[in-house]
Amino acid sequence: MPAMFLRNLSLFAGLLCVVSLRLAAQPVSSESKPEFENTIRPFLVKNCVGCHSDRMKAGDLSLQQFKSAESIAPHTDIWEIVVMKLMDGTMPPKGIPRPPQEQVESVASWIRDAVTQAELASKPDPGRVTARRLNRAEYNNTIRDLLGVDFRPADDFPQDDSGYGFDNIGDVLSLSPVLLEKYLKAAESAVKLAVFGQEKMKPLALRAQPPGREFPLHPKAKKDYDETGLSMPNALHANMRFPGEGKYKIRVAIEGRRPDGSEPVQIGVWIDGKLSRVLEIDQPSDGNSIDLFGAQVEFETHLTAGDHWIAGTFVRMFEGLPPSYEGPNPSRRPIPPGPDIKRFMKIPPGATEAEITDIRKRAEERMRLIRVPANRLWVHFIEATGPYEQVTAVSSDSRKQIFVCSEQASACEQKILSGFARRAFRRPVTAAELKPYLELVQSSRKNGSTFDEAIAVGLQAVLVSPDFLFRIEKTEPLKVKNDSAAAPIDQFALATRLSYFLWSSTPDDELLRLAEQGNLRKPEILSVQVKRMLKDPKSRTLVENFAGQWLELRRLESTTPDREKFPEFDDYLRMSMRQETETFFENIIRNDLSILEMVDARYTFANEKLADFYGIPGVKGTEFRKVDLKGTPRKGILTHASILTVSSYATRTSPTIRGKWILENFLNEPIPPPPPNVPALDEEKIGASGSLREQMEEHRTNPVCASCHAKMDPIGFGFENFSAIGAYRTKDGNFEIDASGALPNGREFKGSDDLIAILGEDKNAFVECITDKMLTYALGRGLERYDRRTVKDIARKVAANDYRFSNLVMEIINSLPFQKARQERNKS
Amino acid sequence: MINTGKHLSRRTILRGVGAAIALPMLDAMTPAFAGTTAPKSPTRLAFTYIPNGVTINEWKPKGVGKDFEFTRILKPLQAHREHLMVLSNLEHHNANALGDGGGDHARAGACFLTGVHPKKTAGSDIKAGISVDQLAAKHFASTTKVSSLELGCEDSRTVGGCDSGYSCAYTNSISWRGPQTPMPPETNPRIVFERLFGDDDFGASPEARARRANQRKSILDLVNSRTQKLVQDLGPSDRRKLDEYLTGVRELEQRIALAEKDQTSFKPDIEKPSGVPVAFADYIKLMFDLQVLAFQADVTRVTTFLFGREASVRTYNEIGVSDPHHPLSHHRNMPEAIEKITQINVFHAGLYAYFLDRLKAIPEGDGTLLDHSMLVYGGAICDGNSHSHDNLPLLVAGKGNGRLHPGRHIVYENKTPMTNLYLTLLDNMNVPVDSLGDSTGRLPLLTEI
Repeated sequence: MPAMFLRNLSLFAGLLCVVSLRLAAQPVSSESKPEFENTIRPFLVKNCVGCHSDRMKAGDLSLQQFKSAESIAPHTDIWEIVVMKLMDGTMPPKGIPRPPQEQVESVASWIRDAVTQAELASKPDPGRVTARRLNRAEYNNTIRDLLGVDFRPADDFPQDDSGYGFDNIGDVLSLSPVLLEKYLKAAESAVKLAVFGQEKMKPLALRAQPPGREFPLHPKAKKDYDETGLSMPNALHANMRFPGEGKYKIRVAIEGRRPDGSEPVQIGVWIDGKLSRVLEIDQPSDGNSIDLFGAQVEFETHLTAGDHWIAGTFVRMFEGLPPSYEGPNPSRRPIPPGPDIKRFMKIPPGATEAEITDIRKRAEERMRLIRVPANRLWVHFIEATGPYEQVTAVSSDSRKQIFVCSEQASACEQKILSGFARRAFRRPVTAAELKPYLELVQSSRKNGSTFDEAIAVGLQAVLVSPDFLFRIEKTEPLKVKNDSAAAPIDQFALATRLSYFLWSSTPDDELLRLAEQGNLRKPEILSVQVKRMLKDPKSRTLVENFAGQWLELRRLESTTPDREKFPEFDDYLRMSMRQETETFFENIIRNDLSILEMVDARYTFANEKLADFYGIPGVKGTEFRKVDLKGTPRKGILTHASILTVSSYATRTSPTIRGKWILENFLNEPIPPPPPNVPALDEEKIGASGSLREQMEEHRTNPVCASCHAKMDPIGFGFENFSAIGAYRTKDGNFEIDASGALPNGREFKGSDDLIAILGEDKNAFVECITDKMLTYALGRGLERYDRRTVKDIARKVAANDYRFSNLVMEIINSLPFQKARQERNKS
Repeated sequence: MINTGKHLSRRTILRGVGAAIALPMLDAMTPAFAGTTAPKSPTRLAFTYIPNGVTINEWKPKGVGKDFEFTRILKPLQAHREHLMVLSNLEHHNANALGDGGGDHARAGACFLTGVHPKKTAGSDIKAGISVDQLAAKHFASTTKVSSLELGCEDSRTVGGCDSGYSCAYTNSISWRGPQTPMPPETNPRIVFERLFGDDDFGASPEARARRANQRKSILDLVNSRTQKLVQDLGPSDRRKLDEYLTGVRELEQRIALAEKDQTSFKPDIEKPSGVPVAFADYIKLMFDLQVLAFQADVTRVTTFLFGREASVRTYNEIGVSDPHHPLSHHRNMPEAIEKITQINVFHAGLYAYFLDRLKAIPEGDGTLLDHSMLVYGGAICDGNSHSHDNLPLLVAGKGNGRLHPGRHIVYENKTPMTNLYLTLLDNMNVPVDSLGDSTGRLPLLTEI
């Protein structure tokens, strides 16, 4: 039986040489239909239908049903998968003889062309975006821009639901009664803040206190170290949200000991990365050392409301120690003699010389042990109390935006409301629409409210109206009835799409004005506007909301690497990791660089903390600056610690998760979820009785798992030289790291540098991936098959323009699904 | 990623109809907190923990039985003489090293309500035992809205090491739902309040609240009719989204109407806290207020509260003690340090008296809230300098619905397990439990005169 099989196979291979030649010579056209019957179908029958038959339906797929070339057009999705599986080598599965590569390639290329043709022949469809409510980020930004108050009311809202990797997807964003109640309250507080100013609040206490600290102790002072103390493990970094503007008392408490005779400890208090104060702590000796447990310093400072990064550090920590510690600028204080060695030598009567020497030796050892290390100090907690002398004055900007006329002016209420409603609803408002709001204000007036109070009620109503909370898009009236029923969205909808795409906020006056004039869609005006918007600092939301979700950076906040395995991971490192990738991405936006920089740039951005972590010398302080990566094992964002951390478990790396992360977020190849009842790895054994790699390879012998893992794992293994928090390493537990491997298509690599080079060769895959993600984010809907051509088209145009970032944005904005919408029948 | 064919339909549609079939209950829709019809007032159980030991000879009353004399530390509680019982000579044997070396603070915290010798580890493999409050909480879980409250006033986390190789979980939590499940105390009064009563502002005047309710009603009316009009022009998928919104509007309208009709529902008589008060005394009092409110409304019957976790380094500047508590407690018999520790103990007792004042001021059924409570106050370290775990400072306040006969100083046989007391308290709440930690039986003499 096997012999016969082999004979057949070789015969078939011979036949195929001819076939592939013919295929290559003859471009696919409608006349090539016989190709399907003559070559494609026999290929399938031979290699695939054994399992993918009507009867077996492996993977819920039968290829037996496809008998003619016509069967491709209605099922392009299936054929796409067929090509993918053939090309990446996952099909036919291991254990089944694989047809020769040329044959696979020619069949795949024929199918691919047929799919492309089928798609081009279908009617273009812009799709439809479901009416969607503002998500939390959008709500906060919109309130800020409408009312000039920045107090982030939506932070208290329930978490937004995400779909397709983003939290701005109309179909997925739900609105619960609880959320509506929050909207009602948020509108009340936001309007109150804008019209009447900050309410007087009682001073509060905020406190940040990490759990116990563990870090290596040094017996001697260091000469080369971070004198600011910011990147030292004994510093404390806290993100605190201050409830109101005013004076705050900041208190820093420390713990630890200093050697006798040391000069006072210098505590640095840093606010938002800037040194705000250096305070001294001088404690007397307790006879053995200087006990600093519970020692505290306090000072007052003015702070604005909102988030501030407060850090407490030991400044010039290794200075002022006794000279015996060999540190810079040693203490000039008299050094106490220290305990007498005799205290530790109990010499029994009649001890021999040798015994006494031994006792002395042990006593010396003992004295060495009780000597206070040079760095046994850490910040215990930071506490802030306030606000005192709170700033409660209403912002004149806020009032100016709302009160466009004075109470005495005629029809002022109407003027105020219509102006505000226009901005809030992102379109002009008719008198009829405005009427109920006006009546509400007037009836409130009648019931004894002041002018301001009554206006406030009207504004509140505007802010809970569905016209504000939901983005409901209208289309331009079609001049000619056509059955494709795709119409351009109206200019206000366009302005709204632009501003929520690039700013995660409401359109500004300029956009609304251009929409009103009907000029926004004009190509020359549109491109000027997009450039203006990208330049505006508000476009930073692309970093936070687009990149933050696409690259899963947001997950870094909730990731907690195991403290025992990764004692060096602290909140400052977490903040620095995130900032690295954000700064890198923002740099691409600001300087309109090629998006391919993300794949293999030999530079990054780092502060001292991160540079230390990466082992890059010469970076000092808290500022992020451009850093050359030549000569380091890193390039591109796949080697950023942020991404290596979010794609790991708390205790160890996961080549599978990393591989999946790269396939899905970099190469546009989604991986289906694992089948149920898959046994997990034995965590205890990893690094002990076998390397992670050995264990996983064993896991892959399971054929159910193998088809996907064969793709994910090798890619992940390529990054094994980076630990679960992205530190470079050459060993995992007791085992040498082997970061070499081969992709299913046979390409071999040695480590991440090689692998990134291979991945980078397929520029198209990456560009289509980022296009796919950004289009999803820009539209607020998941992409459908009919969007494929748009994605490919955009990717092609971006490639033709040096892959500039602004070009990607512009092409997305100019694309069919961004500009138009499918008409939905009213009743169905 | 390109979506091929099937997409989120199930989840999305479920969510869509979810708004109609399974509405989350809005907090204020819950009618008057139950308990008004109960024939007998329920018994409440509260534990208050004081860290770092006390100056025991200034704590332990002179005289036994009814004729005891208040000591300096207990003096602030004198007004509640008839409601409290000082219990001497109780012990937590399992807080001792038993071969595990240093770490008395961690063991004291973990042992206080569990009676279990905690496993020495700074890792995630922590192990203690279920605590007495959680045994009661489990019993009443289906009776009250919140099964128990765990409160503290020092930020707490449950990872990492805190004391000589012991996990921070041991010092942070005295309450344990199970051997591996510490209940981290909540320190933010605002969050506690919202957990108990939702986030309505009960502090505003009735007129102001009525006015706001009216405003909200008219706003909801307005947007309701606007939405009705809006949906007429929409296609089915957009309409589905707006329907969710409309459902929300109607819910809220109903809710406001219900709240207006239901004037009998419990309204907490304090303003909703906005965060942690600056002064420690205000903070502690607020945390007690919240417990009183929770008992009064019968939202929960079981609370635990830490004045500080073991080894706390809080400074008490308001009473002139600027040294951090824990280092100070290692007083090395220096009179000055002992005096300061005593001052802290006195200060704590004064704050505890506030709790009893508040409970006594609230009439309920045949007496007051205090009459219907069993309130344990104490710690699992006797003296901070020696770290001893016998002769512990402990008192029980309240009459436990007639099951306790306070007004006495009871001196037990030396080294009587503290857990025996807990079993008796659970008996008094009709919570059936056979043993707890190192218990050897029930504690006698609590009911007898």
